[in-house]
Amino acid sequence: MRSTLLRRAIFWGALVAFIAWDYGHSAPVNLRLEPPMIAAGSGQATHGGHCSMPK
Amino acid sequence: MTSAALPPLDPSAASAGAAPTGKRPGVTAQRVPLALAVLALFGWLLWSVSARQALLLLVGVGLGWGLAAARFGFTTGWRHLVELREPDGVYGQLLLLAVLAALSMPMLAFFPETTAALGPPSFSLLIGAFVFGIAMQITDGCGSGTLYKAGLGVPLNMAILPVFTVGSFMGSVHLNNWLALGATEPVGLVTLWGWVPALAATLAALALVAVAVRRWCGRPFSFATWPRRWLWGALVLALFAALNLFIAAQPWGVVYGFGLWAAKAATAAGLFDPAQNAFWSDPGHAERLHQTLLLDVTSITNIGILAGALWVAPKRPQEARQLTGTQWAVGLVAGFLLGYSSRLAFGCNVGAMVSGISTGSIHGWIWVPMAFAGTLIGVRLRRRFGL
Repeated sequence: MRSTLLRRAIFWGALVAFIAWDYGHSAPVNLRLEPPMIAAGSGQATHGGHCSMPK
Repeated sequence: MTSAALPPLDPSAASAGAAPTGKRPGVTAQRVPLALAVLALFGWLLWSVSARQALLLLVGVGLGWGLAAARFGFTTGWRHLVELREPDGVYGQLLLLAVLAALSMPMLAFFPETTAALGPPSFSLLIGAFVFGIAMQITDGCGSGTLYKAGLGVPLNMAILPVFTVGSFMGSVHLNNWLALGATEPVGLVTLWGWVPALAATLAALALVAVAVRRWCGRPFSFATWPRRWLWGALVLALFAALNLFIAAQPWGVVYGFGLWAAKAATAAGLFDPAQNAFWSDPGHAERLHQTLLLDVTSITNIGILAGALWVAPKRPQEARQLTGTQWAVGLVAGFLLGYSSRLAFGCNVGAMVSGISTGSIHGWIWVPMAFAGTLIGVRLRRRFGL
């Protein structure tokens, strides 16, 4: 039980650290360019990444 | 070396859907901090990043909860079909595909912002799906399976996740070379035929698969004895996957986010120059490399899936099991191949099979038989290494 909790703590600690590092090293979020809350029906074309994309 | 794994192949337990359900001490104590952390992240995303990403975090949590609570394993379902002629899991997957197609195809038709998971039929797809089918049986987890089992605290899957990301990144780096072997343009049935014929054809094809499965197993489908976890698991996953399409305008995916994380790390470490690579120099990918991963759709749902599985974890204690050094090595190599091949195959069980088929992409229908052929080898390798 204790080892499971320790494993989870290490895993989540590493993940949170990576996200925090990434947030600090990435371009600041420009809230003026925020995507629509619901894309369907927004009239705005999407441009997110997806694994089915060949490029 | 210690490891832990989800309960081993046990048809009686699987059929009964027997999960440890008794009240366990500390469940609330573990869940309250998690709920607070997710709420805090939701609020922070809402305030500092974007409302869409905050919603997608909750969609991911729902997906992770559905996967882990229902033990909706794509890999296990296929393995039970092959080794035990036990079709319950595959019927669950077919139901998921049918319901999600019924939700997604009209959406694609009525909302031009939404896009299908269109991968190109190619040699890359054939090879990638075949290798993925092998690797997913060795690691006992596809893309979503690796995520939710890592969230549950299964050590091998926790260790596989980083090598999966590296494999996914390497696959994306080499993708153009693989495509040069031969590829055709993606084919989307909704665009080609309209959503009603596309849905009818998809449902008919799924029904044919169900008939073939029934013949292979040699016994008729009985709704009365079908474990309910496959039913409600399929419905929960279909609902949240459809919400993913509605909110993000793109289908549920897993692997892209992994590759992006490793690409960011490699770029920051000076090990990789995205400007010199055909895939990552594409303006869309280059932009996502530049911005925080919290703005990436698949990254945020992946984080949500991990959190959703963690919510289930206190009620799903993992059996401690010893793994040898060879088993660890085989598992990690397979984990790398899992990531690499899923990029070549334009998705894993989620991105190619679930999202591809439910949005009418032909590449999803090519992916399934190739991955299944790989599974036939993978289950034997799994036994060979005692995994």
